[in-house]
Amino acid sequence: MEIKYLIEGPVSQKLILKLIEKAGSKTDSGGHSIFLGQVRADEIKGKKVKAIEYSAYEELVNAEAEKIKTIILSEFNDVKSIDIIHSTGVVRAGEISLLVFISAGHRYHAMQASSKAVELIKENLPVWKKEIFEDDSHVWK
Amino acid sequence: MEVKVLFFGVLSEVAGTGVKHYRDVKSVADLKIRINDDFPEIAHYNFRVSVNSEITDKDLVLKTGDEIALMPPFAGG
Repeated sequence: MEIKYLIEGPVSQKLILKLIEKAGSKTDSGGHSIFLGQVRADEIKGKKVKAIEYSAYEELVNAEAEKIKTIILSEFNDVKSIDIIHSTGVVRAGEISLLVFISAGHRYHAMQASSKAVELIKENLPVWKKEIFEDDSHVWK
Repeated sequence: MEVKVLFFGVLSEVAGTGVKHYRDVKSVADLKIRINDDFPEIAHYNFRVSVNSEITDKDLVLKTGDEIALMPPFAGG
């Protein structure tokens, strides 16, 4: 299954399930760490966030995500595979906008690598977000 | 010569567009002056620049077909 780094709209339950199914074929893995980033309904100055609109520089996202994978694989040699999926476009509060799926020989490495990958994604992936409030006004983050 | 400039995040709102072409710009610094003239408000924002998908803080010489992106701090996740 070919998965790109960016998808339009939220990360669906169907996609998450597909990845879990795919992981079943990796019998050299003893653990999978799945991180799901969710859109939070923050309240800012009395206004509630109803959705986030993400935009990204796709070419650079692809290059940076590859770099992140290389870093993780070189730091954690027990890691067998890494999937990174980030949303673009509108994702509503309560929906998933980021998925990091790491399979490793042992659980500890899967969890450590997942934490590091998420930090690298936050720092290096060229993605921007516009928080949209219930009254349709917005603020860039 | 002509280069393509991409405005991301809040800068797309400042410029009122995500993409604009500029002609006869010599370098990144030269381009920044031109952009600043067009959109003075941009001076209030921090951003990094990439040239052909490579983030750089150098004043590179530009050539026809180059793609320059203006990127405010990343906010993924």
